[in-house]
Amino acid sequence: MSKCVGSRPAILRATQNPDGGWGYFPGKPSWLEPTAYAMLALAEERDTAVDRGWSLLRSWQRPDGAFRPCTTVDEAHWSTSLVVTLACTTGVIDETFQSGLGWLLSSAGVEGRPFFRLVHWLRPSIVEFDPSLSGWPWEVGASSWVEPTAHALMALRCAAKSGRRPDLAPRISLTERMLLDRRCRDGGWNFGNRRVLGADLPSYPETTALALMALNGHAAVGWGAALDGVDRAWHNTRSPLARAWLSSCLLMYRGMRPEAADRDEPAANDLLVTAIEGIRWDQILAA
Amino acid sequence: MMTRRGFLGAAAASAAVAAAASSTGCARATLSAGLPGKSAVAILHAASYSVDLVDCLARGAALCGLNARGKRVLLKPNLVEFDARSVIHTQAEILAAAVVLFERLGASEILIGEGPGHRRDAWFLAEEAGYRAAISHFDSRFVDLNRDEVTRVAPFAGTPGIYLARTALEADLVVSIARMKTHHWAGATLSMKNLFGVVPGAVYGWPKNHLHQAGIGPCVAELNRIFPRRFAIVDGIVGMEGNGPIQGRARPCGVLVMGSDLAAVDATCCRIMDIDPGKIEYLQLASGQGHVHEPSIEQRGESIAQVRTRFELIPEFQHLRLG
Repeated sequence: MSKCVGSRPAILRATQNPDGGWGYFPGKPSWLEPTAYAMLALAEERDTAVDRGWSLLRSWQRPDGAFRPCTTVDEAHWSTSLVVTLACTTGVIDETFQSGLGWLLSSAGVEGRPFFRLVHWLRPSIVEFDPSLSGWPWEVGASSWVEPTAHALMALRCAAKSGRRPDLAPRISLTERMLLDRRCRDGGWNFGNRRVLGADLPSYPETTALALMALNGHAAVGWGAALDGVDRAWHNTRSPLARAWLSSCLLMYRGMRPEAADRDEPAANDLLVTAIEGIRWDQILAA
Repeated sequence: MMTRRGFLGAAAASAAVAAAASSTGCARATLSAGLPGKSAVAILHAASYSVDLVDCLARGAALCGLNARGKRVLLKPNLVEFDARSVIHTQAEILAAAVVLFERLGASEILIGEGPGHRRDAWFLAEEAGYRAAISHFDSRFVDLNRDEVTRVAPFAGTPGIYLARTALEADLVVSIARMKTHHWAGATLSMKNLFGVVPGAVYGWPKNHLHQAGIGPCVAELNRIFPRRFAIVDGIVGMEGNGPIQGRARPCGVLVMGSDLAAVDATCCRIMDIDPGKIEYLQLASGQGHVHEPSIEQRGESIAQVRTRFELIPEFQHLRLG
């Protein structure tokens, strides 16, 4: 384990807002996404900061079960997936969890609807994908994208692992097929699709790492080459966010994060990155 | 009655005075933003990024009658994505020159904000694009608009409302600094569509799919309406043709296009690119907010004919050609 990971809990404790949440940056208003990641990073230590975080998150749950992304915005948000994962990780299997999971299961990308399937059938080369395989959108009423789908799949796996929902297997299987269908020719994942207007799309490190984490050892991936690619990408990029997801993927499958020779201190100013790098994804997601 | 040639000569003389004034830090608006019923658009020749870009921009600002004194200015580059082998982003030299320009014009505050279209680290993209190296005090100027605080604006393009980055809404002047590019869904992406970057990914996800679902054309036009205090600088020194805005090819054009009427600027850019602006949906929809028709646009500096460069279009958009 990289030595710099150890200082992240201290940074997160020091940057928690009075309302119990975390902003994307220190001193900024709380958002659900950094709050959920920070709570996941602190969950192992059974930190009291997590309890304060739960108080805020519960206040953000809507009547439909979904969570809003922050106090200002009252709309169902994709990051409900993160709350489901967090609930499973912290053992909060209560009504908050059940209704959040219920909303997640009722949500899907619109590309599977009849009108959109007809459009795709008429012009299949505009965006090449199998429209029968829907994932999750960033927002209600939109098409599926790789990142919200990967997060939702991770949430469903955690929920299934909790032993409460054996009925999730078909949706998990469908989502795995969707992600595999969207895999780019270069072996990784773009943000949405693999081919648009006849042109292959390139993969990106963030989405590739997330998709691989969500696929959780699926036999169709070809893991040796995929993880070697993740390792190469980690060494080749200087993006803190990309490195955070790539190292999380390596932690999950190879048991340790790469050593960051060129950066000994965490990116304290970006709390999203700090939190993601502090999460024991190997313990949360391992089969 | 002053002929067009005579007017351009007078404008050039005024611009030279303004440029000289700006270089001493006391720039004043010397020309109106356009004749009554018309919008002024400046077209400036710039052969490469190594010419004196501050001087070019100062001349363009003077030709358009830009007044930024005492204003909080948000410079909004196009950093939808970065690829060192391509020309996706607004060139760092242009953005750096714009910072100097607005300092000389007396802006009270100059921020730089962008919410990249992909879920990437905005600071990383800015560093890769050379912004941090090229621009003084970059770290204290830059705002990641994807993760900014948000304010709701209602209604929006047939929907009840939209949340937008607060930094952009609170600016006295939003300066859209775009690269001249073709776009595989919209036909062309210029100063107006560049405003998609003020829509926060933290609310709507990436790549701002909310706007695609609601319709690119109506959303571009609506954002144009929401930000009435704005200015445009389009970097056409090297543009992008073909499968833009990300996978296209570099297309040298050697031009900068500037103006306060973003619709007029974009319409002019289209004509330079040999695209009919009347066939671009968002320009049709924005024609009530600005001038798109050529007789209503007062070209200052170079003429369109002097700089016209045919940008290659994907097969689906061949019908957008002029003529």
